[in-house]
Amino acid sequence: MGLITEKLPGIIEPVPGGSVLLSSMDAVINWARSNSLWPLTFGTSCCAIEVMMASGAARHDLARFGAEVTRPSPRQADLLVIAGTIVRKMAPRLKLLYEQMAEPRYVIATGSCAISGGPFIYNNYSTVRGADEIIPVDVYVPGCPPRPEGFFYGILQLQRLIREGESIRRPGERRKPVLAALPAGITLDQIQAELRELLESKAQVKLGASATAGRG
Amino acid sequence: MEANELISTVQSLEPAATLRDKVDRPAMSVPKESVPALMRRLRDEPALSFDMLCAHTAIDWHNENRIELVYQLYSTKHRHYLAVFVSLLRDMPVVTSVSDVWRIAEWQEREVYDMFGVLYRSHPDLRRILLDDDWKGFPLRKDYKDEFMLEAPK
Repeated sequence: MGLITEKLPGIIEPVPGGSVLLSSMDAVINWARSNSLWPLTFGTSCCAIEVMMASGAARHDLARFGAEVTRPSPRQADLLVIAGTIVRKMAPRLKLLYEQMAEPRYVIATGSCAISGGPFIYNNYSTVRGADEIIPVDVYVPGCPPRPEGFFYGILQLQRLIREGESIRRPGERRKPVLAALPAGITLDQIQAELRELLESKAQVKLGASATAGRG
Repeated sequence: MEANELISTVQSLEPAATLRDKVDRPAMSVPKESVPALMRRLRDEPALSFDMLCAHTAIDWHNENRIELVYQLYSTKHRHYLAVFVSLLRDMPVVTSVSDVWRIAEWQEREVYDMFGVLYRSHPDLRRILLDDDWKGFPLRKDYKDEFMLEAPK
């Protein structure tokens, strides 16, 4: 990786048409990165049971997505899964852990507490109202706690984000696929109208063809 | 020991102890002056031998201007439970520590001090345990407020 990410852009860039090769290198690198996420074992409350234990165990098996190598050290991890409530005393430690991780690093916030403070948002002296008040978050997985399937969907979204939104020419810069695909000058009404049309067209499900119809 | 027998034994030790209603285990209210001596006898009396302080916490009855301490006792020898309640004035909550009766009370009393501001006489090391040392106020009191807290919309 060192040769490709550091030397190759410099070699390829001046050559006309070089960016084509570079784009394909992006695809290879992002493919490798997205399929070998190493999560940090960071669980502060009940979400850790679902996300770290149930997801990693044999029944659900996080290894299917290449993200099973949980590391107890931030130096060896590149995915920080915030599984649980973040309190004010924990906040500086969380920031420290995030800063200790090597780049590129990714953050998934799972559960209501990590997203917004959840049930502890009001009249509470201790709970931080969302982990994104402390560190940047890439993917949010709602639930209290989310099921392992929900967490896997979050992992898949993150993999998509890595594959589509990153380039080695702009390290540390990440485009979220949904927002990046949105053309300029679109209004909320247009989105709502389009969504309604989409929902109405998908209102009927044909069971025979459902295996392929869901993709897209 | 059976519940009735337990209650009458405790009342023979401390005549001022009153029985609490609406409880599923034996529970007694005692005056705060009797705390250290009574607790020691509860532990040492062979028929009672409450050798374990399961939990020590407090309740803030801010409408009645009092804080109520709760001692949950358990005997590993006789396998019976007893809850002891002590009522304190909210403005001046001072009580004698039981940390020389049960060692675990040292930390549990520190937590009650941290959250409710109850002061323990003759406690070896009374300082905050969970919150930062420079924290202002006692957050589990019902009238606690700080600038970080968000009020729930009506």
